[in-house]
Amino acid sequence: MNMFTSFILLTLLILMAPILMSTTNLYKNNKYQYYVKNITLCAFTTSLIPAMMYLHTNQEMLISNWHWVTIQTLKLTLSFKMDYFSLMFIPVALFITWSIMEFSMWYMHSDPYINQFFKYLLLFLITMLILVTANNLFQLFIGWEGVGIMSFLLIGWWFGRADANTAALQAILYNRIGDIGFLLSMAWFLSNTNTWDLQQIFMLNQSPPNLPLMGLVLAAAGKSAQFGLHPWLPSAMEGPTPVSALLHSSTMVVAGIFLLIRFHPLMENNKFAQTMALSLGALTTLFTAICALTQNDIKKIIAFSTSSQLGLMMVTIGLNQPHLAFLHICTHAFFKAMLFLCSGSIIHNLNNEQDIRKMGGLYKILPFTTTALIVGCLALTGMPFLAGFYSKDPIIEAATSSYTNAWALLLTLTATSLTAIYSTRIIFFTLLGQPRFPPLTNINENNPLLINPIKRLLVGSIFTGFILTNNIPPMTTPLMTMPLHLKMTALTVTTLGFILAFEINLNTQYLKHTHTSNFSKFLTLLGYFPTTMHRLPPYLNLSMSQKLSTSLLDLAWLEIILPKTASFIQMKASTLTSNQQGLIKLYFLSFLITIILSLILFNCPE
Amino acid sequence: MSLVHMNIIMAFTLSFMGLLMYRSHLMSALLCMEGMMLSLFVLVALVVLNSHFTLASMMPIILLVFAACEAAIGLALLVMISNTYGTDYVQNLNLLQC
Repeated sequence: MNMFTSFILLTLLILMAPILMSTTNLYKNNKYQYYVKNITLCAFTTSLIPAMMYLHTNQEMLISNWHWVTIQTLKLTLSFKMDYFSLMFIPVALFITWSIMEFSMWYMHSDPYINQFFKYLLLFLITMLILVTANNLFQLFIGWEGVGIMSFLLIGWWFGRADANTAALQAILYNRIGDIGFLLSMAWFLSNTNTWDLQQIFMLNQSPPNLPLMGLVLAAAGKSAQFGLHPWLPSAMEGPTPVSALLHSSTMVVAGIFLLIRFHPLMENNKFAQTMALSLGALTTLFTAICALTQNDIKKIIAFSTSSQLGLMMVTIGLNQPHLAFLHICTHAFFKAMLFLCSGSIIHNLNNEQDIRKMGGLYKILPFTTTALIVGCLALTGMPFLAGFYSKDPIIEAATSSYTNAWALLLTLTATSLTAIYSTRIIFFTLLGQPRFPPLTNINENNPLLINPIKRLLVGSIFTGFILTNNIPPMTTPLMTMPLHLKMTALTVTTLGFILAFEINLNTQYLKHTHTSNFSKFLTLLGYFPTTMHRLPPYLNLSMSQKLSTSLLDLAWLEIILPKTASFIQMKASTLTSNQQGLIKLYFLSFLITIILSLILFNCPE
Repeated sequence: MSLVHMNIIMAFTLSFMGLLMYRSHLMSALLCMEGMMLSLFVLVALVVLNSHFTLASMMPIILLVFAACEAAIGLALLVMISNTYGTDYVQNLNLLQC
């Protein structure tokens, strides 16, 4: 008997404390930020212990606490599932949140509502942990909706700005469409397997029909911004940079992928669901990578990069490799959060300038940020032996050597090379060349609140891949032998992308400005997807229904068909048939002549 | 037939032609109607008395009653027309024209 349970529940309970303290005096002064940050650090250390226990002795646990309600035959309890996925994810998430909270003590320093900001970040973290540790679908749904709501509140943090409100609403709407899929799956599981507990679902029906898995794929597409439900993620960059770093790069957007990973015993038996996930992921990764090539806002480029990596994770699930996808989630969190923190440092130091066409030459001015940015971009592209390599390369190897859809594979490889291209673009425009911003004198990175988080994430994004792959228990047999050209696929396409991008970028140094081509406009406006899909279908739907009810039903059927037609026919008939002229004398004269004529004709004796 | 009957029938015919061929005043039509009624009354009374057809002795009285009602209606119409147009010229009666 060990303290596994105690440490897990302690981790979750520690995080509740600042929420409860928000009613007291501590909330009013600026000690609250340090308090929240230190609480997150404590939670991280207490969560490391069960993770170490798992790695050492492979001990998993299922904690079932409190029987809430029994509705006829459905028993709902508060239950936590501590297995490989949740035990590995919790320390990663807590580490990144700790770093981001320390960063946002510097970034949001001048914000008057900074204590509320920290409370919102903490609430988000709690709901994310509820999602990750849930053992039944009801608790997962609570966490799911919770992260959606916190995302809304945090994206619209600067609510005085109309674009921020629109983006927050857009996030909620697209997530809602995914929720429909989730509720569909919940209803199917309830009516067919009589439970929402994961254990019973996996035990009863090893190969379900397509409907619940399609619902789960739809939910993942909504939450993880797959193609068709993707525009909310670039728009979510309206929120502050710590929000983008935490929610929309590391934690919330992986919730959809995490859901599919949780259901991997069902996914591995259904070829159709895997094919759907594969195609959707391949399409997403290529489309968003192409869109990232022509964006000019540094946060949007990184957002599209996140979207592309999410597509890659979906492709991995489609290849029936959930553990690789999970590894990619963990490593991707590190370098993506670090990229966002570096971009936050650049933005704040250039006085809130986000357009990369107006940055440049930061190589010498911000050396530490430069280092972190370059290491992050290299880790993103899968440079050998950095963090991204240990997760991305096995994915590409598994894709090239498995019996799968060749089109999806081709798209994924193209997107990998495009990753290198837009990473080079970021580095080239922000760091190299001559400065293109007005001369500012207070560019510095001396603040330890800024440096320490980036330093920690830098160490993490270099070493995490190595540490994780050497310590996790192997769940699937990795592929050991493959031809040399397949093994070097990822590396060669990435190198090609780097060389190509550098050449093209050098060529654009001294060009005359030409008008953007139609293709570039296509990409800059995200393939016209938001332009067409946000206005046109709702307008068509609403105007059609209005015309149906007003013109057709009300005017036509109830007014024109019977009453007006009848009156119209009567009036026309009466004007046609009645032709009185009032010539009385003539009428009387005609009587007389008729009578005399008849008298003569019938009385004449002949 | 006897000369008396022919006389009365001639009177009726003259009134009838006068009803159908009046020129401008509605009043002449009404007067001709009265003349028709009168001649008819005399004719019916003459024939009934001459043939001792006692059962039909009430016919002249009933004829007179109905003729009186109809004369009243005719006069009422004349008064209405005279109120509307000031005169009773027939050319004014063209409201049904379309």
